[in-house]
Amino acid sequence: MEKIVIEATDRTPYTAFDPHARHLLLRGESYPEDAAAFFGPLQQALREFLPQLGGDTFVVDLELSYFNSSSAKALMNMFMLLEQTAAAGRSIRIIWHFHPDDDTMAEFGEDFAEDFKHAGFALCPIQAE
Amino acid sequence: MGDSMLAQDYYDFHQGLAGKGIILSFTGYVSEGILFALGDALRQKMALDEADANITKKVFSIFVEQVQNIIRYSAEKVEGNLGKRVELSSGTITVGREGERFFVVCGNVIRREDATALRERLSALAAMSKDELKHHYKEKLKEPAEEQSRGGSIGLIEIARRASAPIQFDFQEIDDSAAFFCLKAYI
Repeated sequence: MEKIVIEATDRTPYTAFDPHARHLLLRGESYPEDAAAFFGPLQQALREFLPQLGGDTFVVDLELSYFNSSSAKALMNMFMLLEQTAAAGRSIRIIWHFHPDDDTMAEFGEDFAEDFKHAGFALCPIQAE
Repeated sequence: MGDSMLAQDYYDFHQGLAGKGIILSFTGYVSEGILFALGDALRQKMALDEADANITKKVFSIFVEQVQNIIRYSAEKVEGNLGKRVELSSGTITVGREGERFFVVCGNVIRREDATALRERLSALAAMSKDELKHHYKEKLKEPAEEQSRGGSIGLIEIARRASAPIQFDFQEIDDSAAFFCLKAYI
C-alpha cells in the first residue's frame, strides 16, 4: 500500500499514513468545507489496510487542537473501525495528544476514551517547551 | 459630490453596533471563504484582547457551526458553476460581548414547514444538562450519516455544549412558505 501524506492547510490537519511503519498521524486543526470528502480517502485506505495488519501494532497519533462537528463525525467513524479491528484480535494503540490547558480537547479525549474496550486509547498531555 | 448625511448615517449604523458590544457582524451571502476570513479575524481580535484561550476556542467553535448551518440550511441560496462550484447562502452572523459574556447569534430564512421540527429539536437541546448533551452528541456521532444532510444536526449539539447557558432561539413568520430563524448562544 502507498503512503498518504497531506500537508496541513488553514483548515485541514497534517495527515501522514504510513502502512509499512504501521502508523497514522493527524496534527493541526480540522474544519474543512466538506469533512466527508477530506477524510473519505483516509477512511478507505484504513479499510483496506487494517485486515492486513497481522500481528503488528498499529499506532495512531492524534494531535488536534480544534475540529468542527463534521470532523468529529469522521473521527468517530475512524474510531469505530479501529475498535472493531481491535475487537477482532488485532493490536491498535491510539494516542490523544492535547495541550494540558486546553479544556475542550482534554474533554474530547476523555469522551472518546470511554468507547474503546479493545483498542488502547491513551491521553497524552503535550509538555510545555 | 458631497452628501451631508452619508457619514452621519453610517456613523450611526457603526455606533449602533459598537454600542451593543459587537465585535463583528456580517449580513449577506456567506461562503466558506467568508467563514474562514471572519473566523480568523475573530480569533486574532480575541487574542489581541488577551481573552482566555478556552473561551476564545468556544466562541470560535460556536461561530463555525453557526456559519456552516447558514451555508447548509439557509433557504435563500444561490448555487452555480463559475469554473468551480460556488454556493452562497444568505444569512446574518454577529459576535459580541455583553458584560463579561460573549455571544454569537445567527439568523437565516428557513422553509416554514421545517420550523416545527427545528423548534422541537432546539427545545430539547436547551433543556439538556451538560452530561445529557455529551451523551446525545456521541450517539449522533455514531449514527450513519443522514442522507439529506451534511452533518448539521451534530452542529446544533456542539453549539449547545460549548455555550455557558441554555441556547436561545426564535422564529418570525415571513409568509406562507418562509420563516426567519434566529439562534443565540452565550459563552
